[in-house]
Amino acid sequence: MNDTGIGASVRRKEDFRFLTGQGTYTDDINRPGQTYGYILRSPVAHAKINGIDLAEAKAAPGVVAIFTGDDMQVGSIPCGWGVNNKDGSPMNEPPHPALAQGKVRHVGDQVAIVIAESYAEARAAAELIDVDYEELPAVADLATALDQSTLVHDEAPGNLCYDWEIGEEAQVNAIFESAHHVTSMDIVNNRLVPNAMEPRAAIGEYDSATGEYTLYTTSQNPHVIRLLMGAFVLQIPEHKLRVVAPDVGGGFGSKIFHYAEEAIVTWAAQKVRRPIKWRAERSESFLSDAHGRDHVTKAELALDQDGKFIGLRCYTKANMGAYLSTFSTCVPTYLHATLLAGVYTTPAIYCNVKAVFTNTVPVDAYRGAGRPEATYLLERLVDRAARETGMSQSEIRRKNFIPEDAFPYQTPVALQYDSGNYTATLDRAEELADVAGFQARRSEAASRGKLRGLGYSTYVEACGIAPSAVVGSLGARAGLFESANIRVHPTGSVTVYTGSHSHGQGHETTFAQLVSDSLGIPIENVDISHGDTNKVAFGMGTYGSRSLAVGGEAIMKALDKVITKSKKIAAHVLEADSADIEFKDGKFTVAGTDREMAFGDVALTAYVPHNFPHDELEPGLEEQAFYDPMNFTYPAGCHICEVEIDPDTGVVEVVAMTAMDDVGRVINPMIVEGQIHGGLAQGIGQALMEGARYDDDGQLLTGSYMDYCMPRADDLPDFKVGTTTTLCTHNSLGVKGCGEVGAIGSPPAVINAVVDALWDQGVRDIAMPATPNAVWNALNGAKTAMAAE
Amino acid sequence: MSEGIRFVFRGEVREIDKIDPTLSVLRWLREVEGASGTKEGCAEGDCGACTVVLGELVDGSMQYRAVNACIQFMPTLHGKQLITVEDLASPDGALHPVQKAMVETSGSQCGFCTPGFVMSMFAMKVSEGRPSRDRINDVLAGNLCRCTGYGPIIEASEKMYDAGPETAFLEEEKRVVALLEGLSSDAMVETADKGRRYFAPARVDDLARVYTDNPDAVIVAGATDVGLWVTKMHKDLGTVIYLGRVKELKEMRVASGYLEIGAGVSYTDAWDEIKKHYPDFGELIRRIGSTQVRNAGTIGGNVANGSPIGDTPPALIAAGARLVLRKGEERREIDLESFFIDYGKQDRGIGEFVEMVKLPLPKAGSKFRSYKISKRFDQDISAACGAFMADIEKGQVKDIRICFGGMAGTPARAKHTEAALIGKTWDEETVKTAMAEMVKDYNPLTDMRASEAYRAKVARNLLYKFFVETSQVGEKVNTRVVGDRELAHV
Repeated sequence: MNDTGIGASVRRKEDFRFLTGQGTYTDDINRPGQTYGYILRSPVAHAKINGIDLAEAKAAPGVVAIFTGDDMQVGSIPCGWGVNNKDGSPMNEPPHPALAQGKVRHVGDQVAIVIAESYAEARAAAELIDVDYEELPAVADLATALDQSTLVHDEAPGNLCYDWEIGEEAQVNAIFESAHHVTSMDIVNNRLVPNAMEPRAAIGEYDSATGEYTLYTTSQNPHVIRLLMGAFVLQIPEHKLRVVAPDVGGGFGSKIFHYAEEAIVTWAAQKVRRPIKWRAERSESFLSDAHGRDHVTKAELALDQDGKFIGLRCYTKANMGAYLSTFSTCVPTYLHATLLAGVYTTPAIYCNVKAVFTNTVPVDAYRGAGRPEATYLLERLVDRAARETGMSQSEIRRKNFIPEDAFPYQTPVALQYDSGNYTATLDRAEELADVAGFQARRSEAASRGKLRGLGYSTYVEACGIAPSAVVGSLGARAGLFESANIRVHPTGSVTVYTGSHSHGQGHETTFAQLVSDSLGIPIENVDISHGDTNKVAFGMGTYGSRSLAVGGEAIMKALDKVITKSKKIAAHVLEADSADIEFKDGKFTVAGTDREMAFGDVALTAYVPHNFPHDELEPGLEEQAFYDPMNFTYPAGCHICEVEIDPDTGVVEVVAMTAMDDVGRVINPMIVEGQIHGGLAQGIGQALMEGARYDDDGQLLTGSYMDYCMPRADDLPDFKVGTTTTLCTHNSLGVKGCGEVGAIGSPPAVINAVVDALWDQGVRDIAMPATPNAVWNALNGAKTAMAAE
Repeated sequence: MSEGIRFVFRGEVREIDKIDPTLSVLRWLREVEGASGTKEGCAEGDCGACTVVLGELVDGSMQYRAVNACIQFMPTLHGKQLITVEDLASPDGALHPVQKAMVETSGSQCGFCTPGFVMSMFAMKVSEGRPSRDRINDVLAGNLCRCTGYGPIIEASEKMYDAGPETAFLEEEKRVVALLEGLSSDAMVETADKGRRYFAPARVDDLARVYTDNPDAVIVAGATDVGLWVTKMHKDLGTVIYLGRVKELKEMRVASGYLEIGAGVSYTDAWDEIKKHYPDFGELIRRIGSTQVRNAGTIGGNVANGSPIGDTPPALIAAGARLVLRKGEERREIDLESFFIDYGKQDRGIGEFVEMVKLPLPKAGSKFRSYKISKRFDQDISAACGAFMADIEKGQVKDIRICFGGMAGTPARAKHTEAALIGKTWDEETVKTAMAEMVKDYNPLTDMRASEAYRAKVARNLLYKFFVETSQVGEKVNTRVVGDRELAHV
């Protein structure tokens, strides 16, 4: 290992510009002649638009143009994944207009864009627009939406998007009939607002000389936006549409999707022949960024007399919100139900998912996307089953783990796990969390009047979202591979063009480490370029912890090609057979001799090909690779949370949070640790603090930082994190992905710890977020119930 | 009178003749100056992504304070130094110790909140010595990060002190001091643009005059609320009069049994002095907004604003504070309590302004407590905020004053409850009886912060908490779950 290669905690190359305020985010870009767009949004959840009076607004100072849905007759914003009903029929897919077409369906729905010389003028003019809303009843509640007579979309009877299933219901029911024990729970996965610190922004630009459009946008995947917006919404061919996603200030999934505002500013820029910048205010972020989670599930686990899981069945309602966002439909199905085997050998699993329309902001993937929901319900069930059957939390898991020698392991829900060692991870986690000392800590806490609890979560996730063949067979309307281009410059420095996109993950460092390690060149000589469709050949972007496992692997493939070509060049210069050239530590050597050539000399020779045999050897040194993996990757781990609860106030303090994760080979331990920390913070946030709430009229009650509780510096404990390693068997790096593990594993660990603390007081379950109010009510409700018995 | 504003920026005096009085420092930086290092995350003072540091000459030495640029109006920079994230690294690109520490601990991921954190940490580094973990939490409470989980940033806040004192910065500071001395003047600052006018008097007599002449003006002190009228409610404020330069209003002194707090004194500046006399009131101030908000916001503004959920009026009223109001040359002094007439209505005449809050020093043996009930510890609005001041002599309640915010349209005394206590034995039975009386005092609202039932119950229970804490002095009562728990035993 060189000190900037694989396994080194190299300090981040991107930090200098971020720490000095020189990052370039979309809102930091200003284009010559730029105008400013303000999106007028619906203040009501559901209404017919009987008319829009623009007269006064159009006459307001600085106004350049105003467009409504009547003006913007373009394609519907597409959903990227088709899911079929259990009878094989396609899902209900109502239109998703960029600007409202006669009806608004959630608070925040786009009604018009006002374009003016300044943002203040655009905003002031928007207040003069008179929209005649005829209010309709709102469908605000997921649990009852299917039974309501009000329809979010006339095209979707019963507010149903799809009624999907996996597994054989009859077979699983039969298993439940004969089960020794059945554990049943109603489980809610609370709705979250992703809240990347950078609000979304977009700048649309049109060059009438070339007919080329440019969109600068806060996206995790600019090529996908180019494809969706170009081909489906605006009918702009790819060669005339450039999408740039510069520095992006966090995404967590919410910036994967193609949003209406991107299409609106791009389309309108052509109309006004000037660039248009739009940038969300924070309240707009709350009302228009896709939310996450929001499932209600009836879940049951069947056990035999030995405590082995023999069957699992789940009936989930998943909120889609008012429209189908890009990945919304696959989250509760292919990213949720397929994970229900977890780390266990449960042989029979059935899951039914009903996706439901409501008059709320669209719901889509948020850090973990489906896998946190699966892990949460499974780990809550396992925790409960252990209590009901008298097993310890450790024992029930060990008994049901997929054993180390069973890999590759085919689950009953489509996935085949390639590698893992769940017992080893649990062992290490228990050690790091000092589980052995817990009873003493609990007694000590009790002497202070505090209730102490310990909670486990053992999870597996599927990430490295790909491969194309698999996702294609499951309804994905795109391939899921990645591209990389390695450009070796004449003096031996390297630019890597990657289809992955970094918005906090540190790709510029991790990917450069791959190159430094592979080519034996200093990391300073490597730059990573991403986020511009005019530079990068193609890309599927960053989400689902896929960047290293898919994008990094594409870089490795391209590096292989560079080395192969370099060997040919070296062989030519050294007058040897390329099969005899060895490459090590940045030097090409003729095997068994001292004849060698440095990488830099090979690079220079490639561009000064004075005597190349042109029929055998092309000049230049630049290689491209597309990588489409064989399978998902399967990071797994064990999170153990220890809480202390004040029974008088219901305040939950996370006193220890241990995360032991197997993310495969680690390229940069510092960056991996940072990713796990961030995931844990969001997971603890979900478990204890965060929750988006709507009132019956479909108004978002938690629409600002004052009312939506984001974790702050003193809300989180110091984390104890560690990794165990089993290598991914189907990529050369052996990497699995680490971006989401923290958010997937931690929520059930926290809630299981809370329930453990409260169990002896009669509390059996508590919903997320377990706020002091919720905990206090649970404790006092349980006391009342116990007293009544 | 001086036309336009002058402040130190990028090491030089910047002069702007005409400026929109309610243009925020953030918008000026990003949209006029093209300095995009300072970020907008929320434009309401909650997230801290826009944190900048203001340097100011106070009694001859520099004082550095982090503020939210998103709700700071441009002309308020007059006479100060504006420091942004772009100023920290040296011209040769060498990172400042704050920045270096952030690299070492991996304190930045997506980088968007990073400039704000860096500036909050920088203000701490140049102003105070190595902090406790509690102090770091206080300093970072006004900055949100969604990527890191905060651990590495907290670590960097400790590690940055390893680099030692700010030698390069202090060298440059001497030059800045000279520039700021050159800007110091008692003349009123005046500017106007976009049909809006701005006055920033330096003397209270000038303030009285200019407000008499412009009685429709909006008076701004810290702008931690008024800033949001502009960024969120899109109000056009017309004429603005800024109190932040008025010398007399920035003074604080003890005189004839009162702590006199000028209406322009920030929470941060008042904090230590108030804490000396009323430790619990000090703890309350720690929980108002965040460091950035306390650096800008004032107690005078909190009172004059008239909000029923302002955090300081209940404590001030319980302590028996008086208010000095001034109009032109005339002054009048009233009980603070009588200032709050009804929701949105205060006893303040046209052209009249709050000059001073007078906080009586506690009598020997009197007991004071204030409690803020909110959903989070930091940066939250109270669901209810209660304060209690009692004279207990030989087990008898000689006098008690109870005041709550969040329970009515104004901060309001619990007079029925007080009546049920005065002259009675300070025991559990009396307190329970008095708690039942509270239903006559308050008829609180149900809103998104709390239900009517919750507010009513928590208010009653806070009285009980006050009783427990004051009747068992010296014993280890376990009534505090957040903040400085020792205060229960004072």
